[in-house]
Amino acid sequence: MTLAWLLRRFFTVLYTLLVVSVLVFGLTQILPADAAVTLLGENATPAALAAVRERLGLGDPAWLQYWHWLSALLQGDFGTSMRTSQPVGPAMFTALGRSLLLGGASLVVMLVIAVPLGMWAALRRGKAADLMSSLVSYLGVSFPEFVTATLLLIVVADYFQLLPATGYVPPGEDLADSIRHLILPVVTVSLIMVAHVSRMVRSETIDVLNSDYIRAARLKGLPPRTVLLRHVLRNALLPTVTIVALDVGYLLGGIIVVEEIFAIPGIGRALIVAITSRDLPSIQAGAVIMAATYAVANTLADIAYVLIDRRIRYD
Amino acid sequence: MADLMRRSLLAGTAGLALQSLGASEVLAQGTPRRGGTLRISVDQAASVIHPLRTRVNPEHMIAELCYSNLTTLTTGMAPLPDLALSWSANADFTEWTFKLRPGVKFSDGSPCTAKDVAATYVAILDPKTASPARAIVSMIKEPVAVDDETVLFRLNTAYADLPATAAVFGTRIIPAAIATGDLARLSRESVGTGPFKLATYEPDRLIVLERNPHYFIPEQPYLDRVEIRVYPDSSAETSALLSGDNDLMAITAQSEFGRLKNVRGVDALQVPSGQFLNINMGCDAKPFNDLRVRKALSLCVDRDALVGFVALDAGKPGDDVPVNSIYRYFKKEPAKKVDIAQAKKLLAEAGYPDGIDLTLIASDNPGTRTQLAVAVREMAKPAGFRITVQTMPHAAYLDQVWKKGSFYIGFYNTQQTVDGVFSLLYTSNAAWNETRWNNAAFDALVAEARHTSDEAKRTEIYGKAQDMMYAETPSIIPLFFDLLAGKRSYVKGYALHPRGHIYRFEKVWLDDGAPKRG
Amino acid sequence: MTDALHRLLRTPQGVLGLGLLAVLVLACLLGRSLAPYSPEAMDFAGRFAPPGARHWFGADQLGRDVLSRLLVGASSTIPLAVAATFSGALVGACVGTLSAYLGGRWDEAITRTIDAVMAIPHLLLALILVSTLGKGSTNAALAIAISVAPSMARVTRSVALSVRQQDYVKAAIARGEGAGWIVLREMLPNVAAPLIIEATIRVAFAVMLFATLSFLGLGAQPPASEWGLMISEARRFMHQAPWILVAPALAIATTAICFNLLGDGLRDALNPRDER
Repeated sequence: MTLAWLLRRFFTVLYTLLVVSVLVFGLTQILPADAAVTLLGENATPAALAAVRERLGLGDPAWLQYWHWLSALLQGDFGTSMRTSQPVGPAMFTALGRSLLLGGASLVVMLVIAVPLGMWAALRRGKAADLMSSLVSYLGVSFPEFVTATLLLIVVADYFQLLPATGYVPPGEDLADSIRHLILPVVTVSLIMVAHVSRMVRSETIDVLNSDYIRAARLKGLPPRTVLLRHVLRNALLPTVTIVALDVGYLLGGIIVVEEIFAIPGIGRALIVAITSRDLPSIQAGAVIMAATYAVANTLADIAYVLIDRRIRYD
Repeated sequence: MADLMRRSLLAGTAGLALQSLGASEVLAQGTPRRGGTLRISVDQAASVIHPLRTRVNPEHMIAELCYSNLTTLTTGMAPLPDLALSWSANADFTEWTFKLRPGVKFSDGSPCTAKDVAATYVAILDPKTASPARAIVSMIKEPVAVDDETVLFRLNTAYADLPATAAVFGTRIIPAAIATGDLARLSRESVGTGPFKLATYEPDRLIVLERNPHYFIPEQPYLDRVEIRVYPDSSAETSALLSGDNDLMAITAQSEFGRLKNVRGVDALQVPSGQFLNINMGCDAKPFNDLRVRKALSLCVDRDALVGFVALDAGKPGDDVPVNSIYRYFKKEPAKKVDIAQAKKLLAEAGYPDGIDLTLIASDNPGTRTQLAVAVREMAKPAGFRITVQTMPHAAYLDQVWKKGSFYIGFYNTQQTVDGVFSLLYTSNAAWNETRWNNAAFDALVAEARHTSDEAKRTEIYGKAQDMMYAETPSIIPLFFDLLAGKRSYVKGYALHPRGHIYRFEKVWLDDGAPKRG
Repeated sequence: MTDALHRLLRTPQGVLGLGLLAVLVLACLLGRSLAPYSPEAMDFAGRFAPPGARHWFGADQLGRDVLSRLLVGASSTIPLAVAATFSGALVGACVGTLSAYLGGRWDEAITRTIDAVMAIPHLLLALILVSTLGKGSTNAALAIAISVAPSMARVTRSVALSVRQQDYVKAAIARGEGAGWIVLREMLPNVAAPLIIEATIRVAFAVMLFATLSFLGLGAQPPASEWGLMISEARRFMHQAPWILVAPALAIATTAICFNLLGDGLRDALNPRDER
């Protein structure tokens, strides 16, 4: 991992964000009905529309709007929401914080379940446990988040009334309550990823178990537990890192629906609200922040990959 | 002399209404107690808090908490003093004079006088402000501050209903300095004469308000704080009231209302309102310029069934007239019945013996529009109406279809007065003349009522106007919705208002049963 | 081809997947005639009827039969998702193969741009696209196709890179064949197998994405009985009548399971080297 490599990664991330912002800006320009229409609703007289469009800067040509947006962004200013007249940056980053809480918790829960599940299935290949785990993973990948979420709501929150149905409580306000509110969303988000990742771990583990050096280690008479933890786990985890990084993109998409259903005021919900109200600065900021999150996660995964890889080589 | 009599008459009704409202509520609910925080849940974000620009109920709620109108409305829809104590008009209702409360202060401590009122109305009438209230108060030509406590409104046309109209959202009084200066400031903070003032504002989650120490009724408001929490999901919102997380649910969805009934410590509130869905038909072009086609469709509509399908039984059937029993001057007409054979016959006479193909457009907000469209499609099928339902996002609908299309679903809230409904939607010069019915006789009746003070005469004129709409069906109005809400029983002094966005939280208080919250 | 089918039938996933597929195809083709009621017939007295002899899966808020709506809805749900995936996959495959063929700076530029587009979550891209194009099933399908294409391009590129090193491609280049001919006739057919496997699994995602768009109100529109839309409409009544929601939810899951099984089965059948 050289400085040149890091620089290259950095420019790739920048290029990604540039492409995303041009793409999203271009698409939002052709959205039917603008923010002035959605803001005024039924009171949109021509005079009022003109006044609001002027106030929002919607009269400028598209490239000029993009230039204003980009140059303000370079100074750290995401602009002002057309819907609420509040600054977009702070609102979006507050929302991102909540989404990261949800996403991070889901990621941790997923790893804690998926890795042991996958390895266990690989060790018991072809037995009942393996079949069970593959059944679970098939069910997991086949339920879209909005279905899982709704079914969980009916059973857990409504019928048994074990957990609050929806809503968000900041951890700083009441930690226990905050966790209770997060359980169902986290389960929903992590379910598909558990299914996906545990299958990957299973097949990687099988590969490693069949490899020559594991056979050699076994023949040397090393205790099975040592073999499993020292060699199999580490080697099987390596490709998993890449998969998880790619899944972050999926996670971010899943969060959009889950936040909508569980009424979590995160960046996904903010984006849906922004799209329906044609709030261009918020759509732009939300999309770029999401893409940046994804790009950074991928870069971190690459770095982790290189680090783990080196450890293995020199072990 | 006539002026004096009218003044005492109007002030008298206002006083009476105040007395009756105050007495019954206070007697039923005990002596108000000071203190506490009220947690209110609302069903959508309050993204605009500018008092002259609010559009939806949660926004109207915040504006009402922080600001005052000249008047407000009783639950019987009669004007009641707010900032103005009394009012009077000249003989032909072209000039109105409002007398303000003395010594009123804004929440920043500066005095509120007739100058502020006049400046506010000038700002509302300025198209640049883009106030939704502009169309509603457009009969005002010129507001004049006569002295500190007297405002004179010169009108473009005779208008007998100005006191009730002055209660409308979007006409909250703001300081003259802001009205003529940095108007945008009120998009971020509040400076008003209302019972509360804005403390923190996060549009999509939580809005906190605290007591305004300068409020003009010294013992009110009773509450120290109000928290407004936003719940995009109606089911979650209901659960939060049931579990005691919230004290008051401003609006309950029909599908959730059943959950509030028969729960200990929870009061399910229901009140008939003038809110309706209608099927608008462009009366200026084929096929709906033919009265027989409009009648044929009207004859297919099973109104009682629609109350069940669309309002889940929380509503009342309508008979194609846009006013109902909650309005003064309402005239009850015989209920319209389904008659498919007659509908077929009318359609054939109009030149469509083999039926007719139509596209009915419904926006996605509120969802009941689509429900109505889908149900009417099936109901009209046997008579030969082959209707394709087309749904679209609300923004696109407002941009492309609303007021322009010739067959679509409309949705309207209760207005201040009968005149408010007619002149908003159905007269030829209506701000939102969607049906383009353009009936001169109807216009004349509405105009006549505007300068008629005699109650019996007014009832008669408005009765005739309603007869015309009943007979000619410019739009099909199959049902009115009841407003539904819920509260914990320890919340006192709150009455669900048929107007929909009048709350009067300055009168609300919590009794001993309320939970103590930090 | 028959050989592949044979091998597919030898894997348990393949058998189960093909069985489910047969049921789904049947529902798509004959749904309307199998349905006991018209999917749009309302019944005032039968609103929210629970599952029973009259309505096997119950009735919804307008008294419409849920089973009939499911059966008729199959044809407005599954074929669109399949079509969207495969057209997106085809576009992605062409771009990916082209990128691998061109190599060098072009390859670098195309790959980086694809990576950048992939940084926008699928659902978000689809949301913005549908909001721009307008709501409706066709536009939702188009949006799905567009959001599937980049990842398919990436998968194809990595396979095509190794194909490009094969002798027959080198020979074609040496013969002086045009780029179009080489990409379409020499390289694409040889990346087809892994592509079909990948695309089959993506159908499952497409079904779910399509349903999600409908659920958010951007896909199919009422009174259609597309499954995601059925769930979206039923959510309001989940306290009163959970069955109107559970039935389409299970239908969507079954479809997704079917294509996941098929994809895995195909992987095993077409990649004999990969004995997992």
